[in-house]
Amino acid sequence: MVAAELIVTDLAFGLMLGCVFSVVAHGLNMIWGVVKVVNIAHGEFIMLGAYGAYFLNLFAGLTPLETAPVDAAIGLLVGYAFYYAFLHRELRNKETITLQSEMVTLAATFGLSLFVSNLAIILFTGNPVGVNYNPGTLQFGYVRVPLAALYVAILSVLIIMGTWLFLERTFIGSAIRAYAQDVTATELVGANPAKVASLATALGFAVTMAGGALLTVWIPVGINPLMGALYAPISFVIVVLGGPGKMWGSLVGGLTLGVVIDLLQAFTTAQIAYAAAFLILIPVLVFRPEGLLK
Amino acid sequence: MKIEKPGLTLYGLCIVMALLASAALLLGVAVSSILLLLLIYAALAYSINFITGMMGYVDFGHVLFMAIGSYALATLVSYYGANPLLGVGLGALLGLVFALGIGLVILRFRGVYFAIATVVLVLAAYNIVLQFPQLGAGGEIIFNLTFQPLATYFTIWTIVLIEIVLTYYVNRSRIGFGIRAIKNEEDAASSVGVSPRTLKLTGYMLGGLFGGAAGAVYAWSISGVTAGPAFDFTFSLLMLAMIIIGGVGTSIGPLLGAVVVYIPSYFLLTTVAQAQPLMIGLLVIIMALFLPDGIVGLLRRSNQRLRLVLE
Amino acid sequence: MPFLEAHNVSKNFGGVQALKDVSLDLPESAVLGLIGPNGSGKSTLLNVIAGVEKPTSGIVKLDGKRIDNLRTNRIIRYGLAKTHQIPKPFSNMTARENLAVAVLYGRRNIHSPRFALEEADRILSMVRMGSRKDALADSLTVQEKKRLELARAIATGASILLLDEVFAGLSPEELKDSIQLFKKLHEELHCSALVVEHVMRAVLSLSQKVMVLEEGRVIATGSPDEIVHDEKVIQAYLGSKNPAT
Repeated sequence: MVAAELIVTDLAFGLMLGCVFSVVAHGLNMIWGVVKVVNIAHGEFIMLGAYGAYFLNLFAGLTPLETAPVDAAIGLLVGYAFYYAFLHRELRNKETITLQSEMVTLAATFGLSLFVSNLAIILFTGNPVGVNYNPGTLQFGYVRVPLAALYVAILSVLIIMGTWLFLERTFIGSAIRAYAQDVTATELVGANPAKVASLATALGFAVTMAGGALLTVWIPVGINPLMGALYAPISFVIVVLGGPGKMWGSLVGGLTLGVVIDLLQAFTTAQIAYAAAFLILIPVLVFRPEGLLK
Repeated sequence: MKIEKPGLTLYGLCIVMALLASAALLLGVAVSSILLLLLIYAALAYSINFITGMMGYVDFGHVLFMAIGSYALATLVSYYGANPLLGVGLGALLGLVFALGIGLVILRFRGVYFAIATVVLVLAAYNIVLQFPQLGAGGEIIFNLTFQPLATYFTIWTIVLIEIVLTYYVNRSRIGFGIRAIKNEEDAASSVGVSPRTLKLTGYMLGGLFGGAAGAVYAWSISGVTAGPAFDFTFSLLMLAMIIIGGVGTSIGPLLGAVVVYIPSYFLLTTVAQAQPLMIGLLVIIMALFLPDGIVGLLRRSNQRLRLVLE
Repeated sequence: MPFLEAHNVSKNFGGVQALKDVSLDLPESAVLGLIGPNGSGKSTLLNVIAGVEKPTSGIVKLDGKRIDNLRTNRIIRYGLAKTHQIPKPFSNMTARENLAVAVLYGRRNIHSPRFALEEADRILSMVRMGSRKDALADSLTVQEKKRLELARAIATGASILLLDEVFAGLSPEELKDSIQLFKKLHEELHCSALVVEHVMRAVLSLSQKVMVLEEGRVIATGSPDEIVHDEKVIQAYLGSKNPAT
C-alpha cells in the first residue's frame, strides 16, 4: 500500500515536472520545426527567463506566474533580434537549409551560448538564487500536491495549446505552417518568408523565456548562470522524442521525460535516472527518427 | 599510399614545433608549464579537427574522450602505480575503442542530430561515472608522482607532432578526398563509390584516440582527475572554438586556434575569469557568421600566394 | 547476353506502389531511353538499379551478378554510376577535385591523388569544361553543374551510366550542344546508358530503344519511331501533339 502511494505520488510529480519540461522545450521545438535551426544557446534564454522571474519578484513582488507574460514580451523582442542577427543571412533566399548553413547556425549559436552564460556570471555572479512562491498545497486522496507546481503545469499545457491553436486557426499561423513545409509555399499563401520566419523565431523565444520563469517554481534555490547546460540538453531530448515541429510533441516528450526521471529516481539514484533519460534519445533516433508521435 | 612531397605548411609547422621543444629545454620549468597547457589545448584541437573539422560532424561531446583518457591514466597510476606513459597509451586505446563503439551508432545521425547525441552521451557518461566508487564516485582520484615536467611536456609534444603530420597527410591523401566529399555532400559521395560509413568511423576513431591521449596527459599534468571538471563541457566548447577560430579541417588551423584561445586566457585569468570565455564566445559568433573558414580562410583570401601555400 | 538486366522489379513506398513488375535489359554500349509522365516511377527505377533504394521485390543483375542487395558505393565497383536529377556537386571543392574523388573511389580504385587529378583534368576537357577546372563547384552555372554530374559519373570509370534528366532546363542551343557531346562521349567511351528524360528530342535522337512508364508500369517498348506512333503512348503521355517538334 505504501509502495503504491509512493508510485502514485511520484507519477503525479513526474507528470507535473513533465509539463514544465514541455514548456521549457516548446520554444526550441517551434524554432527547430519551422525554421529548421537548432538554437544551441536555448538553455541560456531559459536561464534569462528564470532571472527575469527572480528580479521581478525581488523588485516588483511578482510571482513567477505573473512574470511569465512579461518574460514572453521580452522574449519576442529578443527573438526578432536573434533572427536578424543570426539567421536571416543564412536563411533568406533559400528553399531548404543546407548542411553548410546548419553548421554555421550551430557554431554561431554555440558562440552565443558561451557569451551569454559568461556575461551572466559577470552580471549576476555565480551564486544560485531562487524565488519564494508558495501558495499552499492541495490534497488529492493521499497525494499532496503543491499548488505552485499544479498552476505551472496547467499554465504550461495552456501555453502549448495556445501555440497549437494559433498555428491551426489563424492566417499567420497557417503561413508559419506553410513555411515549415516548404519555404516557397509561404509566398503562394501571400506572406513574406522572412517575416514569417522571424515571427516564428520570436514566438519561440517568447515561449522559452516564459518557460524559464515557470521553471523557477521547481528550482527554489537553483537559478544560476550555468543552468542552461542542463535544461538545453533536456530540451533537445524532448524535442527529438516528440518530433520537431509537432506542437503536441513537446508535451509527449516532456511528460515522457518527467515520468521516467521521477519514477526511476524512486527506484535508483538521481544520477541513473538522468543518465537513462538522456540515453532514451539514442534508440529513439535509431528506430523512430521522426519522433514518438506519428 | 603514395606519399606526396610535403609543402611549406608542414615545414612551417615543424619549425614551430622545434621552437617549442627548444624553448622548453632552454628556458626551463616555468616556461614549459605555460607551454605544456598550450600543447594540451593544441592536441585537443587537432583531435576534434579529425571529426568536426574534416568531416563536418559537429561534436559537442568531445570532452568524453578526454575524460576517458584522464580516468584511464589516473586509475592505472594511482591504483597500480604504473608508469604514466602506460596510462597515456591506455587512454589512447580506450579512446579508440569507445569511439568505435559509439561511432557505430551515432555516426548514422546527421547534422544537428549527431551534435545532440554527442551532448547527451557526455551527460549520461558523467552520471554513470558518479556511480562507481572505483572511479572516485564523483570525487577525485589523485596520485603523487615525482614532479617530471619535461617528461609530460615531451609526451604531449610528440602527440601534437604526430597529429600535425597525420592531419597534413590525411588531407592530401585519397582518404582526405573522400572525407571532404562526405563533408560536402554525403549522398553524392556514396554515389561515386565513397563508403561514408568506413571513412566517418575512421575519422571518429582518430578523434577518439588522440582525444584520449590528450586527456591522459592532462590528468598527468594536474596529478589527478575529478568527475565534474573532467566532464565539463567547457573543454568541448574550447576545442570547438579553437578549430572554428583557426580554420576547420586544415593542418595549421588548430594550432593557430589554440594560440588565439590560450594566450589571452593566460593573461586574462588573473583579472576577470569570465573575460576569456566571453571573448571566445564573441569571436566564435563573428567567425561563424562572417568568416566560416577561420583565420586560415582569412589569410588565404587576403593573399594569392598564401592561398596556395596554407593547408 | 544482356549487360544490365532487371526482372519484375517492384517498389512500394508505404501503401503506394511506385513500380510494378518492371523488367528491362540494356545490352553492351546500347542507349535505352526511359520516358513517362511525372510520377510514373522513372527516377525510382534508376534509384533501385543504382542501389539508392532497395526493390520491394524483383532482381537486378549486372553481368549476371545480382546487385539489388548492394549499397550504392559497392555497385560503383561493378561499373554502374548514376547522376542526380538535381545536381549534387561537392560545393566547396573545385571541379577537378570533384572528379578526382570519383576517380579515386570509382571502379578503378586509384590510390594516388596526383594521378586522379590528372585524370580529372582529362575528363573535364573531354566534356569541354577544361577552362573551369579550378572553379569551385558552387560557383558553376546550372548547366555546368549538370555537366559536372555527367563528368563525375564518367570519372568513376563506369561502363553503364544512369542519367537522370541531364538535358532538362537547357536552352535549345545548349541542348543541341549537349546532345552532340553525349553522342561523341558514347562513341569514345563505349559505355551503355539508361537515359531518363523529359526532353523528347534528346531521348529520341539518342536512344536505340525507348521504354515508356506510366504509373509504375511499362506500357510500351520499342524503337523511337515505334514509340512516337504507339497509340497507348500518345494517349498516356504525349497527348495529341506531335512529340518530335
